[in-house]
Amino acid sequence: MSGRCCHGQTPNRDIPGPGKCLALPDEAPLPPGDYSTTPGGTVFGTTPGGTRIIYDRKFLMECRNSPGAKTPPSDLPDIPGVTSPGVEELKLENHHVQSCEEKVSAAGEEEQFDMDI
Amino acid sequence: MNNKFDALKDDDSGDHDQNEENNTQKDSEKEKNDREKPQSTTKRKAVVPGPAEHPLQYNYTFWYSRRTPGRPTSSQSYEQNIKQIGTFASVEQFWRFYSHMVRPGDLTGHSDFHLFKEGIKPMWEDDANKNGGKWIIRLRKGLASRCWENLILAMLGEQFMVGEEICGAVVSVRFQEDIISIWNKTASDQATTARIRDTLRRVLNLPPNTIMEYKTHTDSIKAWEEFHGLVNSSGR
Repeated sequence: MSGRCCHGQTPNRDIPGPGKCLALPDEAPLPPGDYSTTPGGTVFGTTPGGTRIIYDRKFLMECRNSPGAKTPPSDLPDIPGVTSPGVEELKLENHHVQSCEEKVSAAGEEEQFDMDI
Repeated sequence: MNNKFDALKDDDSGDHDQNEENNTQKDSEKEKNDREKPQSTTKRKAVVPGPAEHPLQYNYTFWYSRRTPGRPTSSQSYEQNIKQIGTFASVEQFWRFYSHMVRPGDLTGHSDFHLFKEGIKPMWEDDANKNGGKWIIRLRKGLASRCWENLILAMLGEQFMVGEEICGAVVSVRFQEDIISIWNKTASDQATTARIRDTLRRVLNLPPNTIMEYKTHTDSIKAWEEFHGLVNSSGR
């Protein structure tokens, strides 16, 4: 599995930090023809600015539910009405997130919204 | 843009309020004050991605600013108006902040969230911004939270494909409408600004007739100075 996501023309040594290999669920689609796209939604691409760490929206949204993404930062300032470092709010927020994501996945990524200005 | 008031109104996107105090100071004094701000002098540990976290191309800092109601903005310092919320280096760290901040649509009053690359202040005068400009999109009430989220996810995920050009993004909550904007380094680089515009259309899913305005920070400063010149001459 891990060999599958380290293919392509971007040398591994150019990718900073962890996360260049994704643990993929069994049903994850095979790598598409575009060499810069990896299965699971993360894209490492070469752009005019050089090699960049690129993530699409879907992948970023999926990371929201990982355990390390849920605890409030220890240095989060308490600004009334703006930040909510408390645990109670965290529960509420997580509940909110889940219900949002259910809605999104039910509607399909493309139909996420249709903006009318 | 027909007159000075329109010019100011057009630019009501969260970046001139904080400059009010600075306008009366010499550049050198301003730099000194910036350095003396507690949040700048506090020795901070470098922010790095945690183990097994997904690193971002750049570190980013969340800022928040609010105009205190009932007080003339000139009496409020930059420091009072803008607060650093925190800096993150990975996708997971981003969510830890974002999930514990209210969504822009739930902010009250005249408020802004700014998300800028670490080291770039959300000010026209910052070295990274001084030759730059921004795309501005006005939103009817009710859309800001969703658009802001899509905008910053695109920025963090490097969807704009303009190299080092992006500086940051702002959402400005106002009385009748909300405004989102994305700032870049080089206002004169038309290939870059066009690419940013096209990416905005894509990631925000904007209808083709949405009005998007590009404004250089030089023009923003000029409009601001003209407006405040008028205010001063009428006795402020």
